[in-house]
Amino acid sequence: MLTINLFNGLVYGALLIIMCSGLALIYGLRRVVNFAHGSLYMMGAYLGYTIAFNSNFWVALVAAPAIMACLGVLLDRYGFRLLQDRDPLTVVLVTFGLLLVIEDMVQTIWGKSNLSVAAPQALAFSVDLAGTPVPAYRIGVIVVGFCVAVGLTLWLRYSKIGLFVRAASTDPVTTSMQGVNTDLLSAGVVGLGTALAGLAGVVAAPFLSLSPSMSADVIIDSFVVVVIGGLGSLAGAFIAAMLLGMVQAIGAVYLPDTAVLLPFVFMVFILIWKPSGFAGSRT
Amino acid sequence: MTFYRSLLVSIIALLLGLAVLNFVTSSTLLSLFTQAIIYAVFALGIGVLLKQNGMVSFGHALYFGSAGYLMGIMLQLQWASAETLIFYTLFIITLVGLLFGLIIVRVPGVAFGMLTLAIGQMFYLTASRARGFTGGADGMNIDWPSTLFGFSVSQILKPSVIFMISWTTLIIVIFLVSCLLRSRFGAITEAVRDNEERARFIGISTLLPRAAIYSLSALISGIAGVLSALNTGFVSPENLHWSLSGMTLMMVVVGGFKVLWGPALGAVVYFMFKDILGDYATHWMTIFGVVLIAVIVFSPTGIAGAIVGLMSGKPSVGNKPAQGH
Repeated sequence: MLTINLFNGLVYGALLIIMCSGLALIYGLRRVVNFAHGSLYMMGAYLGYTIAFNSNFWVALVAAPAIMACLGVLLDRYGFRLLQDRDPLTVVLVTFGLLLVIEDMVQTIWGKSNLSVAAPQALAFSVDLAGTPVPAYRIGVIVVGFCVAVGLTLWLRYSKIGLFVRAASTDPVTTSMQGVNTDLLSAGVVGLGTALAGLAGVVAAPFLSLSPSMSADVIIDSFVVVVIGGLGSLAGAFIAAMLLGMVQAIGAVYLPDTAVLLPFVFMVFILIWKPSGFAGSRT
Repeated sequence: MTFYRSLLVSIIALLLGLAVLNFVTSSTLLSLFTQAIIYAVFALGIGVLLKQNGMVSFGHALYFGSAGYLMGIMLQLQWASAETLIFYTLFIITLVGLLFGLIIVRVPGVAFGMLTLAIGQMFYLTASRARGFTGGADGMNIDWPSTLFGFSVSQILKPSVIFMISWTTLIIVIFLVSCLLRSRFGAITEAVRDNEERARFIGISTLLPRAAIYSLSALISGIAGVLSALNTGFVSPENLHWSLSGMTLMMVVVGGFKVLWGPALGAVVYFMFKDILGDYATHWMTIFGVVLIAVIVFSPTGIAGAIVGLMSGKPSVGNKPAQGH
């Protein structure tokens, strides 16, 4: 019982890592908390559903994030870039308006009923984990989450573009004076962040059902994670995501009635202890 | 505005309410107005927080819905007379607001908005699961006694009477808040909003004024919640849902939060607009989303800001939204 719950906590933590790394990347560069991130995740999931329905899951896993990346680039070019000198709260409210539009659009196109995506054939078997059978697909989700975390960390630390991203996150003006095209960089990073939201959606589709409420569920947990981790901090978000997944998993075993409340209680205690989160807010 | 001028304006506004009653005879239109006014009180709650603290709350439905639930549960348990319970409810809401405020106003800027969303959603989930207390997702009926403050409830629930009650409440709340904000307390909170560090430097403790404003905004939202509970006699988890907080926040922004009557105006505009939309209302999310974006980008001070600008004949004062931290 505990094993399977801990395992599921790990799976959910991995999903949150994919979601939150997108949120954190966009916040790092644009200082924007994207309230529409959950809606973008939902859109990715539904796009994945349609693509998987017409071809197969693996195509969806690549194509849906790619489409989302294009949308993200446009969002940066015609949204965040034009609003970069405005008050942060203004931009937050704009993304909230965007959330309303996307939610309505998804409901209009795909309807309000629950949809489901089958796990791909190649992963439709069970693996024995300490005496409990677990679906291989979920192990795949953990692997994807792990790859995203490691990949992003290595990319930011060792590549030239990663260096530019870190520089622009610290001081965009000086970075652009050094000859880095920060507008292009931001478009790329927002595109990447949005693609990650789409990826999270596609990955989540086979084990969470698709419904119009899926965005609200995940965005709230994601917000808890990025606030606990410290806004804009990737490492903080990774740790917080795994912790949250575990807290929920253990809560589901020992406190089944109040498990949904645990993330919030967890968050309140962390914030009393450290108001700016694990990594400290970089505002 | 001086004290006497706002008193005069309030009395004129009250008379205006009576005039509306004279002209509007259709009871459906009147109950639409009532709903708009109740949400105007709610929007005022969110607006006070934004105006005075510069903080955006995405979770104030927490206080709106909880007030309804507290009324409903305490009436069911018959702890005291309904009149006393109304005061208990508002007292508890204020106290809870103060406690939450002391924790979450310490979180800077945008993170605060995310936290309010998360905490609000926590209560939504709790209410929809606690079937024994709250009736779960089905909601609960509120058993008002047959008389309230000496009047029979059926009398109170007549469209014209409940409209007048809501309207009077709105005017009184705006009047009292405007008096409070003109006091030393108002000046302190403005100082803390505009530059927390400097305020601390001149010896103002910054946590308590912020938490107090948060608590005040919770109280106002709670008043709206009680009014709504009286008007509909029903409360459900929808009253706690983040989308309600979001829609009300939208009324605040569209109406304009720089002046106290802005959010109320926004609420009235929202309900009229929704009524006119009628058949297209299935796509109200898209329509309001676009309106919200357009207002924020092109007129950050909202409708009220535009009106104030027109009346003073110069570009609206302080054409800048609240400062984040």
